[in-house]
Amino acid sequence: MSGTLQISSLWLLPLLLLPLAVYSGFRVLSGIARKEQGGEDRDWSVPQIEYEGGTTSPVHRWDVRFKLASFLLLAFLVVSLQHPQTALVALIMALFGYRVAAIPWRRGLKRLLGMAGFLSMFLLMLPLTAVRQSTDLVLVFGSIDWLSFNLRGLDLAMLIILRAATVALLMEPLLATAPLPVTLAGLTRMGVPRRLTELLLITHRYLYVFLHEARRMQIGMDVRGFRKSTSLATLRSVGNYVGMLFVRSFERTERVHAAMLARGYQGFWPQPISLHVTPADYLKACGVIGLGLLLVICDQFLVGRF
Amino acid sequence: MHISDGVLPTAVALGTSAVSAGILLWSLRRTPADDLPKVAVLTSAFFVASLIHLPFGPTSVHLLIPGLVGALLGPSAFLAIALGLVLQCLLFQFGGLTALGANLLMIGLPALLAGLVFYHFKGRTKKQRILVGALCGGGATFFSALILALLLASGGEDFIGVAKLALIAHIPVVLIEAGVSGMVISFLLKVKPELLDIPFVLKEKA
Amino acid sequence: MHQILKPVAPEQENRPLFQVESLSYCYPDGTQALNGINLQVHAGDRIALVGHNGSGKTTLVKQLCGLLHSDEGSVTYKGEPLSGAHLARARLEIGLLFQDPDDQLFGNSLYDDVAFGPRNQGQSEIEVDLAVRQALKAVDLEELMFKPPHALSYGQKKRAALAGLLAMRPSLLILDELTANLDPAQEQIFIDLLKNYQGTLILISHDLIFLYELCERALVLDRGRVHHDYPLKELVEHRPSLREHGLDFSFRFAESRQHTEQVDVERRQGAKKAEPAELVGQNAATLVDMRALAYRYPDGTQALNVIDLAISPGERLALVGENGAGKSTLLMCLLGILPFTGRYHFAGTKIVPGKGRAVWQNTGMVFQDCADQLVCSSCYDEVAFAPRQYGVAEAEIKVLVKNALKRVKLDGFDERVPLHLSGGERKRLALASVLSLQPQLLILDEPTAGLDPQGGELLLNILREIDATLILVSHDIFFVRELTERTLVMHNGQIALDYSTKDFFADKNLTSLNGLDFTYRDQCALQIRALQHLHEHTHPHKHHHEHSHVHAELTHQHPHEHEHEHDHSYGHRHNETGAHQHSIQSEYHHHEHPGHDQDDHDHRH
Repeated sequence: MSGTLQISSLWLLPLLLLPLAVYSGFRVLSGIARKEQGGEDRDWSVPQIEYEGGTTSPVHRWDVRFKLASFLLLAFLVVSLQHPQTALVALIMALFGYRVAAIPWRRGLKRLLGMAGFLSMFLLMLPLTAVRQSTDLVLVFGSIDWLSFNLRGLDLAMLIILRAATVALLMEPLLATAPLPVTLAGLTRMGVPRRLTELLLITHRYLYVFLHEARRMQIGMDVRGFRKSTSLATLRSVGNYVGMLFVRSFERTERVHAAMLARGYQGFWPQPISLHVTPADYLKACGVIGLGLLLVICDQFLVGRF
Repeated sequence: MHISDGVLPTAVALGTSAVSAGILLWSLRRTPADDLPKVAVLTSAFFVASLIHLPFGPTSVHLLIPGLVGALLGPSAFLAIALGLVLQCLLFQFGGLTALGANLLMIGLPALLAGLVFYHFKGRTKKQRILVGALCGGGATFFSALILALLLASGGEDFIGVAKLALIAHIPVVLIEAGVSGMVISFLLKVKPELLDIPFVLKEKA
Repeated sequence: MHQILKPVAPEQENRPLFQVESLSYCYPDGTQALNGINLQVHAGDRIALVGHNGSGKTTLVKQLCGLLHSDEGSVTYKGEPLSGAHLARARLEIGLLFQDPDDQLFGNSLYDDVAFGPRNQGQSEIEVDLAVRQALKAVDLEELMFKPPHALSYGQKKRAALAGLLAMRPSLLILDELTANLDPAQEQIFIDLLKNYQGTLILISHDLIFLYELCERALVLDRGRVHHDYPLKELVEHRPSLREHGLDFSFRFAESRQHTEQVDVERRQGAKKAEPAELVGQNAATLVDMRALAYRYPDGTQALNVIDLAISPGERLALVGENGAGKSTLLMCLLGILPFTGRYHFAGTKIVPGKGRAVWQNTGMVFQDCADQLVCSSCYDEVAFAPRQYGVAEAEIKVLVKNALKRVKLDGFDERVPLHLSGGERKRLALASVLSLQPQLLILDEPTAGLDPQGGELLLNILREIDATLILVSHDIFFVRELTERTLVMHNGQIALDYSTKDFFADKNLTSLNGLDFTYRDQCALQIRALQHLHEHTHPHKHHHEHSHVHAELTHQHPHEHEHEHDHSYGHRHNETGAHQHSIQSEYHHHEHPGHDQDDHDHRH
């Protein structure tokens, strides 16, 4: 189907409402994500890479190296899909995998919301700005000729959103089925420099310390009447605030380093995590990657012919 | 703004990942082993600072602070930003798994450049130094936005509109970033000027 | 169970554990932190390391752990200098606890963190596991083993940090301000633990009562020098040297009660005068009016449970209770920051959770850690911060700042950098920064934490003069008695008791409520005071000092030694028969000696 479809300019109205709909949908969903957590007081509180223990799904029992390698490869395969149809199949499969890993849905929802701002830009812009090709179906609103709604652009936006959502949903089974130190130990065994994974652990730990520190500082400023506005005074106060955060972190840095040395740190972190490989690990890896490859092949040949 | 999964062509995602990994290894080598845990702790603070939102007219923007990270950490800035981005990806899904390399290039390269500029053009007076800091902050953010636009445009001509929009959306960020960087530099000059003399990780050698 | 408290290698030898010889240390910025320190530490010593804030205590212990290296002087551990492989070995035998437990907990779970040390010692995983479990059991944190450190309360973190050291079974423990900010029950855990600890112990603290329980030897540092090194008992008894080193907490004894009552009367009169006419609405009589206030943590734990609270203008009340009883949460609700449920009016205005501006405008809150509050690059800006936010004219601000700084005795500090001030000065600056708005309600969260007693005394005097409704959250029972007339005891998120401070002090049943024995410290203080019973004596002794000498036309200066007799204040104790015994005074000592240069001088040059 291609060509130009002339429709009444009244159709512009619902289109104008689209951004509003996207925005309010975002608000409602983030409300749900927050509510399920029991009413977080500030929206910049950080979710934790928690180990969802207590359940032992097949994903939990998967050797972390195989899990990492398979999921990483799968993620790259998913983002190379070229058609919304196959991407939709990938998303459904990701949802299924998510279910298998027995992880609470709100965590996945939070991840999806994390990308919502960036992705809605594509949803709103691509149909309007995609370059018109001969095979495109374009909606034109009455006599307004500078604005046209390209359905191929909408397709493209949907494809991007589906790919992104699929990978985002893969992240939870990947990360929440083992404690972070184990996941990072797996990365080390796969050849990522050991130093990097050690640093990630330290950064992850002190993130929470500084978050609490920053929050207390912010309360301290709020209570003294600070209110952000677009003004030089705000800029100065925020500059002081960030500067103070840095100064405190530099000072803490020195103390943490001293504390590590005092407890016998000699340049590396003891990581006594042992990993065992079973035939099931290979099987799962083959299954996941196989599915990913199958999707890509379908994407290349089958959909292309239609 | 971080690029999420599924936006970049696979070739671009793979290519940027490879380049980023290379620079990351260089940055890791340039950091003295003793200072590694320190860089990790500082990264946490930068991470927290990047969560600060500032109002700009009716909307609000959050800080990126590539310029400040570069000015304070020098060559280790790339490493710090890598740590921060990995965690942002793991925790929030800001910036996707497959787009990590692209995001790292987008923020890390300007940070390295800002560090270089800040280190070599000190200025004679305090005012000049604050000005250099503000220019580094704003410039690095602008450079980031430019890379973002280029990466988006790599998806084909359909994406040029989005790339333009992204670039325009960054104008307030550049302004605020310049302002905040200048203010932070002026604060540090008064309170702890030694932090600005030599990038933190070069101190041991000097 | 107490095996963990026994060092791996108990010291048998006679040679000192540490031998410090003429050690000096200068920070890169030029501050002379240590100056000619000579010191011997023997195995089994229990040392109280005391002195003013900034006298070099922390620097000294860092030297002992080889965390700082000095060009001048030497530190040897078991006869060898601290470097290379010996240093690495020494660090595995020495346990050093930092003030802020977050500096020390760098693992992502308690288990990982406590295991860090033993793993560095090269123990096998089975041994590590055992050590971790024993250490966590010793500090009573077994059930939190796999929690991340950021999910713990402050007291729990502090205990976890100590567990990380105990798991290494150190032969020497160095603990920096172990008990600051802790409630009496948690303090007791530490005291019990350390009493059973069999290795060498070095404690840094301003809390003389705590030190008195655990240490035998006192090491007094003053401006980077060892000023005294003698039994702790002598230091405690000798009030002038306590005062000299900012450790005199004698002001804490009840003798100044009269003064407070007088101020109370004056203040009440003042409050009546200031009876705000602009308050409108039916709640005008009460400043804070909370009905059935409740708050639940995000994870579902009930943090506050049906709080009913009314505070009248001019009232001064204390909020006490164990760590985690809900005191801080109540404060955050009071400020309208946490999303509470229930009804809350502040000065007649209804407060909606998350929008506490009406409260903030009339409230000054001094945080426990002043670093959370001080964000500006000069003291002037700091104090002017709040008025500026409310759009006060710059000329008026100038007056407000000047007055606020004067009230906290920081006149002339306008251009100083807050970050470079001492702990006590920062606390006072934080107070000034909220006083500049002339708040109706002043909230103080643990104002004495980390202050040396001298700083505490100054703060107390300042607080007595301030005319505002006061809420004091504190474990410091002395401040509660001196500053408040009403006490709320919190327990499990509820206000368990609400009565006058006088009744609170008479309440014998408190221990059964929350296991906190508030009177314990009072008793200790009185016990020490009995030792300090002061009086004057004349006593001949030798005197060594430097001053100018006038010999007819010639005036010159040099140190010299001579013998003379003069009055001295002495602390002493009485036995049952009433007889008393003095502590041994050093034959030599320094003191002021006015007019001495005019005396006859007959000595060789």
